[in-house]
Formats: sequence, C-alpha cells, structure tokens
Amino acid sequence: MKKLLRRLFLLGAIAGAVYAARGYLQGRSPGQVTVQIVFDDGSVRSLASNTTEGREFTDIARKLVETGL
Amino acid sequence: MAERSGPGTAQDLDRVLADLRALSGDIESCAVLSGDRDLISSSHEPGVERERVGAMLAALVYLSERVARESGKGYISQLRIDAGGGQLLLVWLDGGGVLAATTGPEARVGLVLYDMRNARSEVEKALAEGSDQ
Repeated sequence: MKKLLRRLFLLGAIAGAVYAARGYLQGRSPGQVTVQIVFDDGSVRSLASNTTEGREFTDIARKLVETGL
Repeated sequence: MAERSGPGTAQDLDRVLADLRALSGDIESCAVLSGDRDLISSSHEPGVERERVGAMLAALVYLSERVARESGKGYISQLRIDAGGGQLLLVWLDGGGVLAATTGPEARVGLVLYDMRNARSEVEKALAEGSDQ
C-alpha cells in the first residue's frame, strides 16, 4: 500500500513537472488574475489575463480606463 | 454629465456622482448604465465618444452575465478589472443597471468599491425617480 502511494505521488510529480515544462517551452506564464467577478451569494470567479475570456474583459477595460467614462 | 428626460433626475444623478467623486479621491471618472443598456450619465458630452463608452460598458455587462450563466450563478454584485494603467470597477444596481468607475493604478480599490456600494442606493433612487417622471 505504502509502495503504491509512493508511486502515485511520484507519477503526479512527474506529470506536474512535464506540464510546467511544456508551458515554459511554449512561452506561457502562470497568468496573472486580472478580472474578479463577485456574485450576490458572495462567491468569486477570477479570470487570468492569459485566457481568452480574461483578455476580452481586459481589452475593453483598458480602452475605458484610457478614455475615461 | 447626465442625459435624461426629467431635468430633476439628471441633476440628482449628477449630484450623486459628484458626491461620490468628492468622497473617493481615487475615482478618475464614473458613469451609470441603465438596465436597458443606455448610458445615462457620463463625463463625455453626447456624441461618438459617449456612444462608444456606452457600447463598451454594455459589452462588459453582457460578458459578465455570460460568465455568471456559465458558472451557474444568478446575479452579479460587482466586477473588478485590472487594466494595467488603472482599474475598472462595476457595481450592479437593482434593475440590471451598473455604476461604473475608473481609477489610477495605485488606487485603494477596496475603499473605492465600498464608497460605490454606499452610493448605490442614491443612484437607484435617482433612477427610480426618473422612471416615475
């Protein structure tokens, strides 16, 4: 059982390292959180700047901050 | 500057937004978008720029509501976007309208949002009086 858990842990670590290396080689950074939506039940949804959804928000917001409302 | 059929309401809304700007020095500009997605108060004079601002705010409201639907959530309370050179903050009003404000990059965003939430009832009151007229 202990051996199995150790192997699973090792496998997870290797998978994580491969994912991180792939992201690094493709020139991606972890992505800064730039958009925060707060719902009326108090829950929060955050969108990172390196996602398509996050970029849609930030592109519009940047123009509005530049021109003023 | 507010643009509304009832002159009393336009003045009320302008006064509420002027009070908000005076209270929260970090706010650089603010606007109100109605539930029908009409820009009813803005620092821009009526014209192309004002229409652009209204359209962009309406697009942000649409995007936010799409995210809410996809997340299985009902209503949005507020939105905060870090745009690099400053922050864009939206606080939802009763009836689906929004109170929007921009700040500089070093603004105390929590404090600004607190002031906006406090001003929300006054804005809603001015809008309700406008729809009654």
